[in-house]
Amino acid sequence: MGFSLFESGRWAATTLIEVVVLALALRQKLFGRLPFFTIYLCIVVANEVILWVTYSFTGISSHTSFYVYWTMQAVQVSIRAVVVYEICRVLLSPYEGVWRLCRPFLILLAALLVGGAAISARLSAHHAAATILTAERGLEIAVIGILILGLVFCRYYGLKIERHVVWIALGLGFNSAVQVANNTFLRIGPTLADFPVWQIIRQTSFNVATIFWIVALWKPLPARQPAPVLLAHGEYDRLAPQMTLRLRELNTRLLEMWK
Amino acid sequence: MTVFAFTLAALGILVALFWLLFGSRATETPASLDARDTEEFVPVNCRHFPQIRQMLEAEDHQFMRRRAPRHIEREWRGERRRILGQYLKDLGQDFGRLERLARLIATLSPEIRRAQEWEWMWQGVRFRLLYRMVAVKIALGSFSTDDIARLTEPIAALAGELESRMALIAECAPSRLHADVGG
Repeated sequence: MGFSLFESGRWAATTLIEVVVLALALRQKLFGRLPFFTIYLCIVVANEVILWVTYSFTGISSHTSFYVYWTMQAVQVSIRAVVVYEICRVLLSPYEGVWRLCRPFLILLAALLVGGAAISARLSAHHAAATILTAERGLEIAVIGILILGLVFCRYYGLKIERHVVWIALGLGFNSAVQVANNTFLRIGPTLADFPVWQIIRQTSFNVATIFWIVALWKPLPARQPAPVLLAHGEYDRLAPQMTLRLRELNTRLLEMWK
Repeated sequence: MTVFAFTLAALGILVALFWLLFGSRATETPASLDARDTEEFVPVNCRHFPQIRQMLEAEDHQFMRRRAPRHIEREWRGERRRILGQYLKDLGQDFGRLERLARLIATLSPEIRRAQEWEWMWQGVRFRLLYRMVAVKIALGSFSTDDIARLTEPIAALAGELESRMALIAECAPSRLHADVGG
C-alpha cells in the first residue's frame, strides 16, 4: 500500500478514536436526539474501512483510490452540512416563532454558499484538483456559515445550548474552519502545502474534532428538557406595538439631545 | 493575498465560534413566562429617576452660580456630571432589560413578525449609538438637564405598561399559555 509505519500507526489511531466516538454515541442513544450526526459518525468509520480496502487493492496512487477518496469526502462534507442544519433545528425549533423566522435565513444562506461554491469550482475547471478543492472549500464554508448563523440566532434570543451540543458544534466548526484555510493553501501549490507543520495541522484537525466529540459524549447526556410553554397567539401582536412605539420615542429624544 | 485572507477568515470564524459557544450569556430564556421570570426583565432604575431629576433642578444651578464660591461651584458641577453619567448608565441598563424582555416575548411566541424583529434590532443599534454620543456630550459638560430627564419618560411608561401586561399573562398562565411540543 506504500504507507510508512508512522502513517499506518496514525491511521490506526485515527480509526480507533472514530470507533470510540461512534461507540459512545450508540451507548448514549444519541440517534434519538441527533440522528444525522450518528449517521455521520457511522459514515466516518465506514470511510476508513472503504479507503483501507481500496488502497490495499489498487494502491494509493491509483485513479480508483483518487475517485473513491474524493467521493467519500463529498459524502462526508454533504452530511456535515445536514448535521449542522440538524443542530440548528434542535436548538431553535422548540421555539416555534423563532424557528419560523430563522429557517428561511438558514436555507437561503446555505443555498447562496453552495451556489457560490459551485460557481467558483466551475471557474477553476481548468484543473481537476483545483476544482475539487474549491468545491470542498465552498461546502465547508457553507457548513460553518449555517452553524455560525444558527448560533447567532441562539445568542440573540438567549437560547440555552446543552453541553454535548456545544462540543459537537465546536468539533464540526473547528474541522470546517481548518479545512477552509487548508484547501486554500493546497490550491496555491505543493510547495506551500508540503509545509510540514501545516500538514500536521491539516491531518490532525479531524482528530481534534473527534476528541471534542468524545468530550461531548463522555458524560451521560442530560435529561430531555420539556418543551417551552409558549404564549397565547396574539400576545406578541398586543405587546409589540407598545414596545416599538416607546423605543422609537426614546431614540427620538436621544437624537434631539444630541443635536 | 488569498491565502492570508482565508487564513484570517478561518481564525476569525474560530474566535466567533468559541465566543458563540462559550461566551457568557446575559440572560437565558426561561422555559415559560411566570411572574418571577419577568421580574428580572422589567426596568427598575427608572423608578428612581424622579428623585435624580429633582437633584438636577435648574434653580439649584442658578443658586450655586449666584451664591457659592467658584471652587465649590466647580466641585458641584463635577458631582452633577457624575450623577448624570450614572443616570445615563442606569437608563442604558433599563433599555437592555426591555430589549431582553422584547426578545423573551418573541422567543416564547408561536408567531413572530420579521419586520417587527428587524425594527427592534434597529432600535437597539440606534439606541447604543445615540447613547454613546450623549455620554460623550455629558462628559464634555454640554447637556441640558431637562432633555436628559425627558429620556426616562418612554422607558418608565413602557415599564409600567409591560409590568401590568406581564402580570396579567403570568396570572392567567394555566388558561392562557399552552405547552407546545417543539422539535
